[in-house]
Amino acid sequence: MKLVRKITNSKLFFTFIWIAALIIVWEIFAYQVEQTKRTPENVLPHLSGVVDSITSDKKINGSQTAFQMVMENAGATLSRAAIGYVIGIALGFILALIMSLSGIVEKVVFPYLMLIQIIPILGMAPIINAITKDIAVSRIVIAAILTFYPVAANTLAGFKAVRRESHELMYSYSASKFQLYTKMMIPSCIPYFFTGLKISAPMAITASILVDTLQGGLGLGCLLSQSLKGAMTRYVFWDIVFFSAIIGILSFYFIGIIEKLLCPYKKLEQKGR
Amino acid sequence: MLETTENRNVEIMLDNVGMTYDAADGKKVQALTSVTMDIHKGEFISLLGPSGCGKTTLLRIIADLLQPTSGKVLIGGETPREARLKRRYGMVFQSATLYDWRTVIKNIELPLEITHESKSERRERAIKMLDLVGLSEFANHYPRQLSGGMQQRVGIARALVLQPEILLMDEPFSALDEFTREKLHIDLLKIWRKTNKTIIFVTHNISESVFLSDKVCVLSPHPGRLSAVIDIDLPRPRSMEIRDTPEFTALVSKVRNSFEGV
Amino acid sequence: MSAKMNSKRRSAVQSVLLPVAFGGVLITAWQTGLLHKLLNTDEYVLPYPTRILTIISENTDKIMENVWASLEVALLGLLFGSVIGYLIAVFAASFRKLGSGGLTIVSSFNAIPIVALAPVIINWTKDVSPQADVRSMVAKIVIVTIVCMASMSVNAYRGLTELPAFSQDLMKTYGAGKLTEFRKLRLPNSIPYIFTALRVSVPVSIISALVSEYFAEYVIGVGRQIRENILIAQYSTAWAYILVACVIGIAMYAILIAAEAIVLKKRR
Repeated sequence: MKLVRKITNSKLFFTFIWIAALIIVWEIFAYQVEQTKRTPENVLPHLSGVVDSITSDKKINGSQTAFQMVMENAGATLSRAAIGYVIGIALGFILALIMSLSGIVEKVVFPYLMLIQIIPILGMAPIINAITKDIAVSRIVIAAILTFYPVAANTLAGFKAVRRESHELMYSYSASKFQLYTKMMIPSCIPYFFTGLKISAPMAITASILVDTLQGGLGLGCLLSQSLKGAMTRYVFWDIVFFSAIIGILSFYFIGIIEKLLCPYKKLEQKGR
Repeated sequence: MLETTENRNVEIMLDNVGMTYDAADGKKVQALTSVTMDIHKGEFISLLGPSGCGKTTLLRIIADLLQPTSGKVLIGGETPREARLKRRYGMVFQSATLYDWRTVIKNIELPLEITHESKSERRERAIKMLDLVGLSEFANHYPRQLSGGMQQRVGIARALVLQPEILLMDEPFSALDEFTREKLHIDLLKIWRKTNKTIIFVTHNISESVFLSDKVCVLSPHPGRLSAVIDIDLPRPRSMEIRDTPEFTALVSKVRNSFEGV
Repeated sequence: MSAKMNSKRRSAVQSVLLPVAFGGVLITAWQTGLLHKLLNTDEYVLPYPTRILTIISENTDKIMENVWASLEVALLGLLFGSVIGYLIAVFAASFRKLGSGGLTIVSSFNAIPIVALAPVIINWTKDVSPQADVRSMVAKIVIVTIVCMASMSVNAYRGLTELPAFSQDLMKTYGAGKLTEFRKLRLPNSIPYIFTALRVSVPVSIISALVSEYFAEYVIGVGRQIRENILIAQYSTAWAYILVACVIGIAMYAILIAAEAIVLKKRR
């Protein structure tokens, strides 16, 4: 009895209820579509059909199953997204650090950091592709740009959120600038830094897939376009939709898990305050 | 007792210390006007007053966190800056200011890392300090797992670990509940007796200042100034019960009546 | 005038002058071809600023037509998304257990790549209208709506539930019902959170409007024009649209900030 109550009280339980509800609604519509359309999988396939297309070992282009094909293309896209992501993180963190160290640099760069957040960078993807002339490079560049500014802005906010007393404590020890940053500033901004990472992880993935659609070649977005145009079974399209949705969501949670591992103190309950 | 006090060395000398701020509207605000005072080695001094009286300003001047606009401060014959560079004082803030990402013992080791002590030396001294504040079994807890009172004791241990001669405390117990605060008063006095530090304790709580101090320096606002120095000649060691004595009550009223313009 | 006042004023002047100077240097580098050397590109792919401005002035009508198309999508999507998002938050705040689970789902929509979302929605809205321009418009608005929903629902939920201490108890002592509590306490409390959500979703609405245009049937909108012009190697025109897109982004954000300043003025 206790266990039942514990389960029904948990947030996870209600999340599952919602997922179940979504699946049911999806299937009802899929059934409707099946009755009225000639090619129902173009509009709304049964989820079982999608799962079948992933697990089936039928070769769809002579050499690969749908799953193998999605995975190979995903590898090309996501590895570039990951490289861009890491570069963007490094640049964003370094910029925030320099801005925190130098008031002049902060004054020069800060308005542009705000500006870059409100202008549609993703809309510039085609032109960046034209400038770099290489789709692999432009994937990396765009993922890096999209990662760079949330990380920089959030990390800088983390540096600014350090309480005056923490500064004074280090001052009273006559700590060097290097000690000030390694012992206090950088560790204390880690939660903010991770907020930036969480925001930008799905963005980096989206950007990479979007860049794929601009040009042929290997890549999830490219495969998605081909499937939409009818070059192969439409289920490949659905596989990619679900795959990228799941990867996007997982990337967010994955960063959260890394944060928890790095900051074991964060989950601890505040006591006696 | 009184004669020996005079003979003791002066630890901190304040000579006509004043502080003037520029307010936003361009007016000058006198946060502190000509404070002159000697603080002797091993003394427990309270700076007592309402908000705006300049008590925290005075403490921050001694800590080299602020530069006075007039007058002179000497700590053991040195300027506050020299004293800070030699780590002659430890500071305890209103909030414990512990670093969330460090365990209790690592928080206490922090100042020793900054002075580049060896790892074994750090651990040894931190354990000693933890023992002093009675938190040995919490060494590997994170600050968030501790109550407010325990956090503040860690703050005191951290301030003492560099073995400074002076302890500067800025309203350290004001965020705690009355029960915890009274317990920490006793603990602080014990630590003080064991370590023989000179303590400057900023507070706005009259009975707290009377209970703890050798001398209560009463500061009044508008402009911030030292309006009275009252010797607290209650016997030591002091226990909770002393608060119920008529002598204690009399001193509290004496302190209260010495405020000007509040 | 005291030295401190002077230094404060100097600092304020600096924070305007320095970034402007930096922008000036950047544009000069661009106009003089230095930027091209740095990026290893030519003035064909990256035209000079003067050239881009000329294109804009010569094609004002066509550009404005596309601007309105994109703005309509972004603004309507933003409006519908925010309203639905807020209603979801109200629902979640009324049925806490059920609602917070639903909120997890809605917020995870945020992590779905819009590239995957856009073709699906376009598929689903095929039967809305026989006219390609209408059904494309509907599809794009739905995409923006979904994307904007998440940030509003998450933030509004916080605004509806993270109330000042004891304020709910205060309401109870007046014998206020659920509806009064909502009107007098939860709704006003949630207003700053609405602006927090909008600060996220205003730029997002523009981005998702532009990207959804890539996939739409009917060729219109600033985003689509960027892409189409690059496909036919009209880089100057593409840049003109990029510049316009940036101006839209900045203008909408500026309007939001102004609105926020007016609405929240009394709270500060």
